[in-house]
Amino acid sequence: MRIGTLKESYVADAALFDSVTQKVWLAIGCALLVGFPFVANDYALYLACLVGINIASATGLNLLTGYTGLVSLGQAAFMGLGAYTVAILQIRYGTPPLLNLLAGGFVAMLGGLLVGIPSLRVKGLYLAIATIAASFILHFLFANLTLTGGTGGLSMSPARIFGFTLDASFRLYWLIVPVMLLMLLGAANLFRTRIGRAFIAIRDRDISAEVLGIPLLRYKLLSFGLSSFYAGVAGGLWAYLFRVVTPESFPLQMSIFFLAAIIVGGMGSILGGILGAVFMTMVPEVLKWIFDLLPGGPSLTVFLSPVRLIVFGLLIVGFLVFEPLGLAEVWRRIRRFFHLWPFRN
Amino acid sequence: MVNRIDRAFAQHSLPQQPSPRRRGLMLAAGAGLAAPLVARAQGADEIVIGGSIPMTGVFAFAGIGINAAFIDYVKRINDAGGIAGRKVRYVPEDTGYKVDVSVAAFKKITSQNKVNFYYGDSTGFSKTINSELNRNGNILMAGASFASEINDPANFPNQFLVGPDYTEMVGILLAHIAKEKPGAKVAFVYSDTEFGRDPIEKSEAAAKKLGLSVPVKIMTPPGSVDVSTEVIKLRRAAPDYTIFHGYVLAPIPEFIQQGKQMGMTSKWMGTFWTMDSSTVMKMGEAGDGFMGVMPYRYYYDTEKSATLEQIRAARPEYQTTPYLQGYLTAMLFCEVAKRTLAAGQELTGKNMKAALNGLKGFDTGGLIGVPISIPGNSIPVGRVYRADMKAQKMVAASDWISL
Repeated sequence: MRIGTLKESYVADAALFDSVTQKVWLAIGCALLVGFPFVANDYALYLACLVGINIASATGLNLLTGYTGLVSLGQAAFMGLGAYTVAILQIRYGTPPLLNLLAGGFVAMLGGLLVGIPSLRVKGLYLAIATIAASFILHFLFANLTLTGGTGGLSMSPARIFGFTLDASFRLYWLIVPVMLLMLLGAANLFRTRIGRAFIAIRDRDISAEVLGIPLLRYKLLSFGLSSFYAGVAGGLWAYLFRVVTPESFPLQMSIFFLAAIIVGGMGSILGGILGAVFMTMVPEVLKWIFDLLPGGPSLTVFLSPVRLIVFGLLIVGFLVFEPLGLAEVWRRIRRFFHLWPFRN
Repeated sequence: MVNRIDRAFAQHSLPQQPSPRRRGLMLAAGAGLAAPLVARAQGADEIVIGGSIPMTGVFAFAGIGINAAFIDYVKRINDAGGIAGRKVRYVPEDTGYKVDVSVAAFKKITSQNKVNFYYGDSTGFSKTINSELNRNGNILMAGASFASEINDPANFPNQFLVGPDYTEMVGILLAHIAKEKPGAKVAFVYSDTEFGRDPIEKSEAAAKKLGLSVPVKIMTPPGSVDVSTEVIKLRRAAPDYTIFHGYVLAPIPEFIQQGKQMGMTSKWMGTFWTMDSSTVMKMGEAGDGFMGVMPYRYYYDTEKSATLEQIRAARPEYQTTPYLQGYLTAMLFCEVAKRTLAAGQELTGKNMKAALNGLKGFDTGGLIGVPISIPGNSIPVGRVYRADMKAQKMVAASDWISL
């Protein structure tokens, strides 16, 4: 229990950032995010962009699975919907990137609403299978429609905003990171509203939620729609980062990646989605760096690569066994430690 | 209960001071996190070959051979004094055959080194990184892809294919068929992937031009699937030749086995990624007589080849066809660097591509049975090989065919 955070109104109680310390850290975080591109190389910036996209999509999945309790393995397919929408708009109509991203989000949202319909009847593993089926259908459409360029997919030119061509990671960073932050802010705020609380009530016990007057179909569909919107925008950002969208760009493994990210990070926590996406994206890269420090050069790489994957797998299993509440809980524990620091025994 | 809560509270709220071991681990983790910001020292006159190599994942069977080939060839060149006195350095990264990881590997390697040549692991990567290559302007790239789309010097000016593209591969098979059995019926069986669909449309037109007919085209999911209905469809068309494309192995053995059981007399053929000796031998008896196009000689070919003799001397055990592809890629990279430097030019993408396109009648030391030229983005040469299950080898079934 933290001391010295007296709240005198409901608004203060519901505030996202309720202490000066939090606000200071937030300002430092923002300053670091702004300063990062000026000191980082292209590789680090590329990873930052990738992490940003993965955070956006993992947060979307967290809304659905972590907060509403509806398991989905269709996140990658919804990202594909967003990516194709952005690519088609960019190639055919040259519309502004922000508009394209919104359109990508809305098209994915429509897809999500459709896929979410069975969620009233089925849940758990059954719903997961239904979402897998939906992702196969979408994959088939991507591969066979003329509009989507068939199996060869679509190659697009870089986005242009205010006369700047977003053709390098440095420039894309200024699109991806702010959009991701906006999405995070939106998600965090959602749970200060009736809608967010309804999601949590449905997750905890859907029948009780209905008894309390929460229309299940409407809120479950809304959760699917919002989650898919996040996936669609993330997919659009993905399209701008890679500039080639093919049916093979969004495989089922990608959906599993996002599910693993929110499990490792902590389901039902915005911070969990962030930490999980960072963990899943960055740990393989960090492990590469650690293994690179070992002597041996290219001849050893071939032996170390599978070992690296095993270590990554063991880390995930380790987290699940020793910290089932995810990285978010580890973070909370660290914070609790510093709440009293340095005034502790 | 209270004790348990107290204990949990004590554990969670008041952690102990980090032990020396934990502090050591934290330092190591910190060093790992800081490492990306530290660039490595590089000799100013080194020639660097970077590589997004799939050493894990579904394509590891090829990546491991490719990696070994680059290590061997670079060692060979450096032992002989390098290129114009400059050492060659090979910097690989494992990609797991994922495009986003391949791009990360590219960014990492190019951020730390002044890369001159690059090996990409997939068509997806080749397409994704193309604009980056064009922007960079100092890298010439080849890779594991033989996609027809990349055989386009206008759109892919800094890339080339180390062999014929997929359409040319099927073209070589069709040329062989037209010579062996004029007017033959040819069936195409291909996977429902970008890789599988790549040559089909153009190859159907090419077949018609050669006086061959295409009675049936069958598309299947990639990998191991039940193909019994497709085999019935194929049998009904009664082709003289069946060309598989877009698979590594499955479902080719299933097609051949069931086809033979149904009394089909078709000859069965494949393209490069199916044609490694160890892959074909896995087909068992069904694979006897299986034919396919191969742009390089096999490791155990008895025809005279100085390059193969060097490879066999360095590695007495069988080396796969991806190894040979990697070896030829390294050879072409080094030859291009040598010629560009000899002409007194800088190692830019444009100059190196011009040097590559200037290769006329280049002798690969018998790795390819005829001298090669690379006027565009591909090497449109190959040969038809046939499986001899008794000898457990692929034997030549045609002469070298240039398109």
